[in-house]
Amino acid sequence: MHFECTDLTFTYPGADKPVLDRLSFSMAAPGFNAVFGPSGVGKTSFARLLAGHGTLAEEHCRHEGLSTLLYSYNQERLPGWASTGSHLEKVCPEENTGLKDELIRIFRVESLMDARFSQLSMGQQNRMNLIRYLIQDFDLLILDESLANVDEALRETIILAMKDLFPDRLFLYISHNLMEVARFCRDILILSRGKSGTVVRGLDYTLGYVPDPAGLDRTMLEIMNAV
Amino acid sequence: MLFRRIYQFLIVYAAGVSGLMGIKYGVGLSDYVIPGPELILETAGRVLTTYFFDCINTLSVTILGQLISIFMAFSVGILGRKSTWVGSFIKVMAYNIQAYPIVALAPIIFILLGDGFLSRLLIASMICYFPLLLSVLGIMASPVEDIEHFYKATGRMRWQLEVKIRAFENLSKLTTVIAGSATLAMAGTIVAEFIAADAGIGYSIRIALYQSDLAGILTALFMIGIIISVYQGLLETAGEQVKTKWSAPKGGTLI
Repeated sequence: MHFECTDLTFTYPGADKPVLDRLSFSMAAPGFNAVFGPSGVGKTSFARLLAGHGTLAEEHCRHEGLSTLLYSYNQERLPGWASTGSHLEKVCPEENTGLKDELIRIFRVESLMDARFSQLSMGQQNRMNLIRYLIQDFDLLILDESLANVDEALRETIILAMKDLFPDRLFLYISHNLMEVARFCRDILILSRGKSGTVVRGLDYTLGYVPDPAGLDRTMLEIMNAV
Repeated sequence: MLFRRIYQFLIVYAAGVSGLMGIKYGVGLSDYVIPGPELILETAGRVLTTYFFDCINTLSVTILGQLISIFMAFSVGILGRKSTWVGSFIKVMAYNIQAYPIVALAPIIFILLGDGFLSRLLIASMICYFPLLLSVLGIMASPVEDIEHFYKATGRMRWQLEVKIRAFENLSKLTTVIAGSATLAMAGTIVAEFIAADAGIGYSIRIALYQSDLAGILTALFMIGIIISVYQGLLETAGEQVKTKWSAPKGGTLI
């Protein structure tokens, strides 16, 4: 599988300049890849274009073998009329019940199953939201700041678990955390104003990884130079 | 909620009667124009029971009219929430009809249907229906993207779920609008009774008016105020309970 875009340009109605200007890149799939760049550079616009199944994305992006695209973002909410556990149960396909239970344990939300969504902290809300996406059938899942407000240690646990549990899926992880992106992602698409998009190779750590400080420095420097 | 409504009304009523007394004694008007406190109390003692049952009669029509309006407003609001031509047609029609004073249509209804229950019911429903419809349309046509996105993206969105999400997210607005529409329905019923009906508190006010009986009218206003305050208070309390039951976790309280 391969995921690539060629000359993708998008301008918001009424705007003078395009938010995405002739964006071209190619990245391997499946894997845990990232979209990185400063605020306002068009990361979310790009993700929404992809997930919206618009004609623009269809014309300029090729994602063979990736038929089900899902987009999750960090301000999503679960309805408030029932407990989070009940919502997860309702949206969980029968065959993924075991996976759901495992994710609940890994994401450390077992004790929150009887709570309403509004009662959770922002980090807990984001974890709960991400679980319900992960138990769906998908080929590509875009995570737009989906782990925001989650502490660093738990974020690492979650990312490594996702890579271990879903080796045959493609993730596009949108984050502002340079070190995290450099350590855990394989292909990192760097978006910056005036450039058409650069893909940098990350360290792609998996469970039981051995840290490579020199490699990390090199990758981070490479990313910063591309921004 | 209930008691707050009642004492707020009592303050307003007392201020109104005090104003009238101020004018009466300030200008030196006779009891024929503005009755004194003794005459008001004497009249109240005589007609209070009759007026109470008249108000209950009016309230029963009001409640029925309001229920019909709520049912209609939700049915049409749910149908008109989409950006299809049917939805746009319903919205434009509702906005335009709402701008017209519906009470002016009352004579036509009386000519076609005559005096009686049906005419009162129809006018009460019509008067509170359009403001309700506009509110329901506004709520139902506004997507709650942060919640709906997941269901749309995963193909789980059904119209029932969409309506449930939007109603739940706007529960406070909906209960306020429904409680507020009680006043409109009551006003519609009283106007209908005042114009041409043969029962209800509006009919009693008409008789008191023809007899220049301001003490009777003040007593009727007192009864109407108390009854509508109790009704609105009950509606608001019921709304609060629905909200609490629907959004609070079982066996616990909201943090």
